This record gives sequence, structure tokens and C-alpha cells, in this order.
Amino acid sequence: MIVRRRELVAAGAALALARPAAAAAQPSDVEQLERLLALEHRLEAAYETALARDAIEPRLGETLLAHEREHIRGLTQALAARGRRAPRATAPPPQLGSALASRAAFARYATGLEAETVAAYQDVLATFRDERLLQPLGSIMTATAQHEVALRDAVGRDLLR
Amino acid sequence: MQPKISRRAALGGGAAAVVLASCGGGDPPPSDEPAAGSGAGLLGSLAALEHAAAAAWAAIGEELRGEGRDYARRIRERELRHAERVSELIRSLGGAPPEGRSREEYAPSFARLRSEADALHFAADLEEKLVRSYLDALRSLPEEDQRRAAAEIAAEEAEDLAVVHVLAGTPAAPYPFVTGTL
Repeated sequence: MIVRRRELVAAGAALALARPAAAAAQPSDVEQLERLLALEHRLEAAYETALARDAIEPRLGETLLAHEREHIRGLTQALAARGRRAPRATAPPPQLGSALASRAAFARYATGLEAETVAAYQDVLATFRDERLLQPLGSIMTATAQHEVALRDAVGRDLLR
Repeated sequence: MQPKISRRAALGGGAAAVVLASCGGGDPPPSDEPAAGSGAGLLGSLAALEHAAAAAWAAIGEELRGEGRDYARRIRERELRHAERVSELIRSLGGAPPEGRSREEYAPSFARLRSEADALHFAADLEEKLVRSYLDALRSLPEEDQRRAAAEIAAEEAEDLAVVHVLAGTPAAPYPFVTGTL
């Protein structure tokens, strides 16, 4: 326990020292792509789990899952072109468990994940340096925005925010 | 890595481009634009396109019924908000944004709408054109706030396109890439 506390204190101190420099510096294109890839992996995991638990209508779930895998493939290729291996998938957030209770609950949860992902793409598109990737990344972002409409439609909600 | 355009996007976007080129989307940039390379010229074209889109949605709404008509009204209001947001960016550069034209001036250049299906087809073409215009603009807009606005508006246009899909009885999100691919 004491060791763990020490480690936490040390880690906290290192983070505090690193933060000003990190905040001041614009993230690199590679870092931005890695962030997007992590979010796409999170969506992939959510739809995989929802399909396995029947928390989403199967046809819609398969479509959205296939889209996420296409996005992952594209981002992985973009990272590979920059000499980077794609990071492994992150674990789904803990709220996913309760979101699997019903299709309506999962739709609300997944809509939130999709919205967070759209916002992340918008951050990236505002600052990304490689102009050649702006249109393709925007194309993924707009498809992700359409996912929100698809999820709202699936549970009979208003289609627009 | 080269963007691929879907056949539907190419055909639909082309059709809308032809229509809108003559009703505002092809307007020249404002003559008193601040400086070359500031983004004002491109933003002026986008604002003109949004004014034309708002007028188009008024025409589309007249052919729709029930919730379709209600969504058309709301989407038209969104297009007007987009026009204002883009216009504000132009003003911040010291430029004068283009004004919208009267409905009568736009009307002859729209596709003839004889049915709900015509209206939804035209709406899909229009929204694909809008999405593509904003995504294409990302490469040419020099400032972060301009690019952020283009990205945020593009996402809303994609949502509008998804609504059109639903109203037409097709999947809201049919493709993993709306206008191209990585």
C-alpha cells in the first residue's frame, strides 16, 4: 500500500511537471491519429458487446460495427504510413455494463460515445498539419455524425439534436 | 490514401452542384474581401451556398408532409444559422458577407419538384453537396477557428443528410465514409 502511494505521488509529480509543456505544445499528427484510433476502438468494443448481449438491433449493430472497423483500418494505415504501429484497443468504459440493460439504454450510451468521437475529430480537423488527410478524416467524422441519427432513429427519438 | 468518391456521391453531388451553381453556390466571393489567402473568399462562397440551401429547403418542405415537413423547417433554420456563422467569420476578417437572394430569384434554378420522392432526392443531392463543400474547404481555410467552424457545420450537414435518408425509408448511415475514404 505504501509503495503504491509513493508510486502515485511520484507519478502525480511527473504529470504535474509534464503538463505545462504538454499543454503548450500542439499535439503531433501522430498523437492526434492515435487519439482518434483509441476512440474508434472504444466504439468497436461497444458495438461488439451490444451485439453479443442483444442490446442493439442486429442489422444496425452490424452496420455500425462494420463502419467502425473501416475507420480503424483507415486510421491504422495512416499511422503505419508514419512509421507507427497502431496502439492496442482500450477497455470499454465501466458505464457500458449498465448501458446493456436495454436497447434504449444502449442507444443513449452509444449516441454519447459517437458524439464524443465527433467532437474529437473536430478538434483534430482544426489543428491537423497534414492537409492531405483533412478530407478523409472529415469523411469519417461526418459518417460518425450520421451514426448518432441512426441510433436516435432506432429508438424512436427525435432525429436531430 | 487517395479519396474515393462513391458513385452516388459523385452523381448526386454533381447534380446539386449544377443546380446550386446558378442559385448562389457559384456566386463570386465578395468584392471587398480583406486579403488573398485570408479565407474570406471561400467563406463567402460557403455563405452564398447556405443562403441558397435555406431557400431550397423551403421549397423541399412544401412537398413534404407530417414530420418530413417539420424536419425541413428545422433543417432550413439550421442552414440559416450556418450562413450567419460563416458570415460572422467573414466580418471578423473585415469583409462583407453575401446577402441571400429573394425566394423568387432562387426558385427558377431549383430542380422541379413534383412529388415527395423528388423533394427527398433533391434534398439528398443538396446535403451531399454541402458536406463535400465544407470538407473540401478544410484544406484551404488558413485559420483554426475557420476550420473548426467548417468541421462542425459539416457534421450537422451530414446529420441532415441522414435525416433525409430516414425520411426516404433508407438507412440513416449507409456508408462508413460520407464523401471518400482513407
